[in-house]
Amino acid sequence: MGWQFVLAAILGAIAYLDRTATFQLMLHRPLVVATAMGAVFGNVSAGAQVGAVLELLYLARLPVGASIPPDDTGAALFAGAAGAAASSSVGLDAGSFTALLLLSVPCAELGKVVDRLVRRVNGRIAALTVEAVERGDSQAVEHGLFAGLTLFALAGMALSLAFTGAGVAAGKFLLPRFGPESKADFAALMPILPLLGAASVFSCSRTDRTAPVFYLTMMMVFAAILFFRWAG
Amino acid sequence: MSEGLSRDVRRSVWRRQFLLQGCWNYEGMQNVGFTYSILPALRQLYGGRPEEMAKALKRHLEYFNTQPSMAGVILGASVRIEERIAARDADPRAIGTFKVGLMGSLGAIGDAYFWGALKPMASVAGAILSLVHPLLGIAALLLLYNLSHLSIRLQGFAAGMAGEESAVQYLKGAGFASRTMDRKIVAAILGGAWAGAAGSRTAILFGGGAASWGFFLVSVLTVHLLTVLFRKAVSPSEVLLFLLIVGTLILLQ
Repeated sequence: MGWQFVLAAILGAIAYLDRTATFQLMLHRPLVVATAMGAVFGNVSAGAQVGAVLELLYLARLPVGASIPPDDTGAALFAGAAGAAASSSVGLDAGSFTALLLLSVPCAELGKVVDRLVRRVNGRIAALTVEAVERGDSQAVEHGLFAGLTLFALAGMALSLAFTGAGVAAGKFLLPRFGPESKADFAALMPILPLLGAASVFSCSRTDRTAPVFYLTMMMVFAAILFFRWAG
Repeated sequence: MSEGLSRDVRRSVWRRQFLLQGCWNYEGMQNVGFTYSILPALRQLYGGRPEEMAKALKRHLEYFNTQPSMAGVILGASVRIEERIAARDADPRAIGTFKVGLMGSLGAIGDAYFWGALKPMASVAGAILSLVHPLLGIAALLLLYNLSHLSIRLQGFAAGMAGEESAVQYLKGAGFASRTMDRKIVAAILGGAWAGAAGSRTAILFGGGAASWGFFLVSVLTVHLLTVLFRKAVSPSEVLLFLLIVGTLILLQ
């Protein structure tokens, strides 16, 4: 189990660096992170299953200017690890799936708080950089930047360990405490989660031209699936 | 392309733009990252002139913030202006005016394109294809986003390096408004397909039949209500927390 957490911390640090500080190649997206955590903790498809829904949930919050959206990377670390830990040979049941997606919300909010803290500390690093440059030290710029990067990476690593640890604990110890009936009751909330994701996408892409396109496609796909099920 | 700077320096500046947000902070935002990116050019231009080097560094440590993937345009053009300042052919204040003048509009264009259109399109395509195979979904997400992302970083930097006028011409000619709208339409189609598939799954779970269209209407109303809430600045986290409370109450019954 130890090596799994080491791997999760390394992958998590890379994802958190990609989220803000470096490349922004979308390696931090929930689909990528949750699938990777599923692979690390033993069930790729369970990770991908929760990652696909999480991928869309938070899209409505854009990282514009100084605003920080909820930490969907942290939510994916938790849910991917929890999904893999909670799944059995038949996969992840609907109640557990719903529960761990909803339980990942505190991780998304905690990650946001830590991100804000890191950016505040970076303010101090930037101020020290300016002071050093005024004294004629041009290398201070490089030192300042690498200090900021290190801070983002360390915070990402700590969050990854905390969230995957919490995820594995939730998957192994919390969810099994509930019986099949409780899980079936909880699963009643599941249909709303993909619709929440669709609403998130729609709120980003909504214009006078795209609104009819969205609802028309929704109706056609809905009708096509029911038709093929009826015909087949 | 700039002739005064070596190819290695230009490549180094281009590579360093990926670390623009490495020391993101609330006061100067991307100031340290921008200075770090342009540093190799400044070192070559002001080699042996420490006082001018210090002044140049201070110029770039001023507040700077734009959409990170669009920063290459400003970075390239700033290198060209610094060349002229180093040759005493331009006023040092020109660089601040140029950066401040462009960063806001580039930020708005970039936010609309990258966060408001390209990312939702790539995300929903990835989510749908991951239902076929997880790796297919991840590949689709990364390819759809990064093909556009990396080409804009490359083209934007090259246009900036060709001069300020070329940078402005690039922004006018790149057609960001139409590209944004195209990707929003694709995102809406894919988002609609995702919502239709989710709604039909619920209808089938409850037995299908004539009542299915009732489920469709409920799905449409749910999406519409949630979209209105998001537009009124309600966070998805707040909706999810509400659902978590409802779920806990169901369990406690």
